[in-house]
Amino acid sequence: MKKSSIVIAVVAAVLILLFFWVKGTYNGMVTMDEGVKTAWSQVENVYQRRADLIPNLVATVKGYAEHESSTLESVVEARSKATGITVDPENLTPEKLAEFQQAQGELGAALGRLLLIQENYPDLKANENFLALQQQLEGSENRIAVERRKFNEAARAYNTKIRRFPGNIVAGMFGFETKPYFEADSSAAVAPKVEF
Amino acid sequence: MNSQMKYPSAVSMRSLVSGLMLSVAALLVFCSGAAAADIPSRPVPPRLLNDLAGVFSPSQAGNMERRLVAFADSTSNQIAVVTVPELYGMDKAELAFRIGEEWGVGKKEFDNGVVLLIKPKSRDSRGEVFIATGYGLEGAIPDAAAGEIVNRYMIPFLQQNDYYSAVNAALDILFSLASGEISHKEISGGSGSTAIIIFFLIFVVLFAFLTGKSKGTKNIGGGGRGGHGGGLSTADFIMLGMLSGMGRSGRSSGFGGGFGGGGFGGFGGGSFGGGGAGGSW
Repeated sequence: MKKSSIVIAVVAAVLILLFFWVKGTYNGMVTMDEGVKTAWSQVENVYQRRADLIPNLVATVKGYAEHESSTLESVVEARSKATGITVDPENLTPEKLAEFQQAQGELGAALGRLLLIQENYPDLKANENFLALQQQLEGSENRIAVERRKFNEAARAYNTKIRRFPGNIVAGMFGFETKPYFEADSSAAVAPKVEF
Repeated sequence: MNSQMKYPSAVSMRSLVSGLMLSVAALLVFCSGAAAADIPSRPVPPRLLNDLAGVFSPSQAGNMERRLVAFADSTSNQIAVVTVPELYGMDKAELAFRIGEEWGVGKKEFDNGVVLLIKPKSRDSRGEVFIATGYGLEGAIPDAAAGEIVNRYMIPFLQQNDYYSAVNAALDILFSLASGEISHKEISGGSGSTAIIIFFLIFVVLFAFLTGKSKGTKNIGGGGRGGHGGGLSTADFIMLGMLSGMGRSGRSSGFGGGFGGGGFGGFGGGSFGGGGAGGSW
């Protein structure tokens, strides 16, 4: 009688401890998962900010360089393609992220070509509006770089948490999945570098 | 006998010295390796001016630190001036953001930090300057304003190697822009000092009351004992008054607390999102 009650007490204590451990681990993972999602929405924000600058930029360049229509069109096309891809943070798979990065990289490359043509048009190069837009574009690129780095950091911390023993048991039980990272851009799709 | 006594001690002294030098050398190698791989570590004790490239004279550095601390104290906006001998293999913008983020320049709840980064011109590389604004100050100091500060007010001085004037010119404008946005004298700053005054007054009244009382007992009853008891409780009240006063001011000063005197209270964990602009010369 007394022995069995001791056994019951020990089992209950172990179960309670186990419950609190699982609870703590699970809640920690949820918090970090939310952190990754927040970081992702920031990434989309700053890419959107860049996309929002493009209509103005295209209009300004058009006024000075009408026969660069193919360059202008490729920018507009790349923009519509890039803004067409939005990734649901609940469903952040490596394929989705790669697709997103690919489209944004193409837009970056098209923008880079657009900014290069200014060398042939001194009037455009001196245009106040164009200079301001260029500066805003540079600010957008800075913000993109920062938010991408923060996303990668958040994803790395989260991945480490869910893959390490014994947390991986909890992660497996509740179906936490690893998050993909932004890869360093290949040279073809590198963001435009604006120098003054 | 005497020389024999001296001999082993000299040997042990020499081995001690060489051991010490070895460990110092190892430490130096370790430190330089760590520094080359990453950004400069957060200064301990915290400082707003970090002249890692050594471009300011001691008196200039002292003036500038005082200016920066006074501004941080009066508005809670933290502007960190950092000069670096190299860019640690990064873009100047990236380095500025990472310093801001990892040092935590600005208050956590406002993200109101600014990092003014300067890499002096050297024989084989251009001079670089970048103003990075925290999330909270992107509205007050737009990228265009940061760019204008750099190109119009700093570069002309920097081209003449006048780093001090360049930074001061930038600070003049940054101060006026930043204080317009978040001029947040620590909410508790006022109430904290009134609390201290009230406690001081209570303490003075108590002190007067107790010393008066202890004198009274002394006059009437047994001399030594009464005086002793009165003195003890007075001391208790001094301690109590000081402790409660300190507790109040410590609690109310929030993030900035911890370092007394006129010095800088420490970085607050502000965050940076890529705002700002820079230039080269």
